[in-house]
Amino acid sequence: MMARTELEEPLATGMEAVLIVSLLLLASIPLILAYTTLILTSFADTIVSNPWVHFHFTIDNWIAFFRGELSTTRARIYTTSQILWMIGNTIIVAAGVALVVLAGSITSAYAYSRMKYRWRMGALKLLLLLHAFPGVALIVGVYTLYYYTLVKYVSLQHRLLYSFVFVIFARASLELPMSIWILKGFFDRVPWELEWAVIVDGGSRWTALRHAMLPLVKPGIAAVAIFAFLAGWEDLIYVMVFLPPQAKTLATFIEGQLAGGSLESSYLPILAAAGTLYLLPTILFFVFTQRLLMETMSGGVKG
Amino acid sequence: MEGSRGDSVVVTVTLVNVTKKFGSVVAVDNVSLEIPDGKFTALLGPSGSGKTTLLYLIAGIYKPTRGKILFDERDVTKLKPNERNIGLVFQNYALYPHMKVFDNIAFPLRLAKKPKSYIEERVKRIARMLNIDHLLDRYPAQLSGGQQQRVALARALVKEPAVLLLDEPLSNIDAILRIRIRSELKRLQRDLGITTIYVTHDQSEALAMADKIVVIHNGRVQQEGTPHEVYRYPRNVFVASFIGNPPTNIFRASVDQSEAPCVLLPGSKYCPTGLLAKKLREARLREVLVGFRPEDAEIRGEVSGDGVYLYGEVYTIEPLGRENIITLRINGELVKVTAPPSETVRIGDKVYLRIPRDKIMLFHPKTEENLALI
Repeated sequence: MMARTELEEPLATGMEAVLIVSLLLLASIPLILAYTTLILTSFADTIVSNPWVHFHFTIDNWIAFFRGELSTTRARIYTTSQILWMIGNTIIVAAGVALVVLAGSITSAYAYSRMKYRWRMGALKLLLLLHAFPGVALIVGVYTLYYYTLVKYVSLQHRLLYSFVFVIFARASLELPMSIWILKGFFDRVPWELEWAVIVDGGSRWTALRHAMLPLVKPGIAAVAIFAFLAGWEDLIYVMVFLPPQAKTLATFIEGQLAGGSLESSYLPILAAAGTLYLLPTILFFVFTQRLLMETMSGGVKG
Repeated sequence: MEGSRGDSVVVTVTLVNVTKKFGSVVAVDNVSLEIPDGKFTALLGPSGSGKTTLLYLIAGIYKPTRGKILFDERDVTKLKPNERNIGLVFQNYALYPHMKVFDNIAFPLRLAKKPKSYIEERVKRIARMLNIDHLLDRYPAQLSGGQQQRVALARALVKEPAVLLLDEPLSNIDAILRIRIRSELKRLQRDLGITTIYVTHDQSEALAMADKIVVIHNGRVQQEGTPHEVYRYPRNVFVASFIGNPPTNIFRASVDQSEAPCVLLPGSKYCPTGLLAKKLREARLREVLVGFRPEDAEIRGEVSGDGVYLYGEVYTIEPLGRENIITLRINGELVKVTAPPSETVRIGDKVYLRIPRDKIMLFHPKTEENLALI
């Protein structure tokens, strides 16, 4: 009884809660303002830069974006299929990164959690160090690898495909250390007996992984997949360096519209539509998986 | 030879000099053991004694550091658990939380790629047998401890294993239910005639259920035998004091070796005869550990008649309804005896304890072994 009442006690009393929430709101005002401005602008006929602007709802910007009419003069800079391809590229990179990260992190997290081998502890520490390494710092080395393999082994007609594969694996490897770490935490919480039970019941370790472990670490897998997908979706530098200029993703497209001189010819409400589209998966994932992500952060598996 | 009872195969499990080390810790120390086919064998020991390790070695979850494990004549030492045809109920049941009860029980059959209709029929049959057929659509988390235990048992039994291994299956169930399930489990084992190995730290469970008890302590087999044997003829002080509730009273006494060896007790002398006397003399023991079971002693007002007498003072009285447990202080040592509720002694009374000669056990003061059995 004692323990229960203690648990049910709120973390902060009424006044404290009000104070904490207002501080948090205050701190996030710049963020909230920026995002609201962006999203509102994408549905307005002018830039929503202050509260007194006359807001007139329209989806013209979105239509114009998908028609490729990007400039202030509504000249058609891209065709619709080019725009769709660009979104497609973004999805390919994001989904590719998610798949590679899943395959890599599930298998290695299982090994880190369940198997004994030399240098296991050392490798675990190395994972954290690797996570701390910024991807930008590695880009020269990664580019060297890319350049030599491309020139030496890849025929001309396969270069586009190769650069997609390369960017997916390169970006995924940046996500791997943290994903392994997260999933290892989930695997650690699955009791050994459950795995043994599968083996006693006639299965192999692979059966145990598939039928007993994976269903129980679903929240972890979902979280890792979402993070990896978003990382691929949002990535700018790796995509810019490794994908040829004609293969754009949303990130490099928006960057291209804003960079060097083109800003003046761009019609910003249409770019805001592109920006909102770019944000969409992040918003959707966080809305629908909030509870799941909280669970991941506290590293728990529901029993 | 593989015997057969009903439609299932039963095997004898034999361990030959099995040792298991975890790093430098010796969990199982050179154990040789035969577990008879079709019988209910209990591995009994306190926590940390190595009994669960021993069970996992038989299951194949652990591989022995040294030694061999045989199922009948077949050497299974290097076989994986899935190649041994065993059923195992874990202490925490290890039910698959994301599967319904039906799927939990069906899982071993699905792995064995049995046809769907066969699986359906087998699962329903075993569920009926264990009275869980109304729970097949539920998830493990929706079941009580006793129901989860039955599901785990059903999952272990559904593939008709040659050996059924149970790791403290009753320890997570409340006391009243435990006694009921105890007798049901015993009956089930008898009906199925399956070789069963049951790990427990509860001596009353082992005595109540097992055909054979193996007492384990510090990774070694202390004694094996029928419940009657380990209870009546404990090989050493550990077995004597671990089995029985209240446990065997044990205290130190000096031995007078001047003529025929006699144990000097507070209140009287005990001069053993025959083999025991010979052993006492040959070992030239000046001291010995004396033991007797609480129910073998009788409270008397005075010395009258044959037997060994101890003199002491009543220390506490615990009435348990069916009997009273009376603690006496005898020469500074506390000794527990059971007495009928009609016993009228009171705290502080000076009384004699009468113990029949053949119920007195003598143990070597150093090796702690029962002198009558070495």
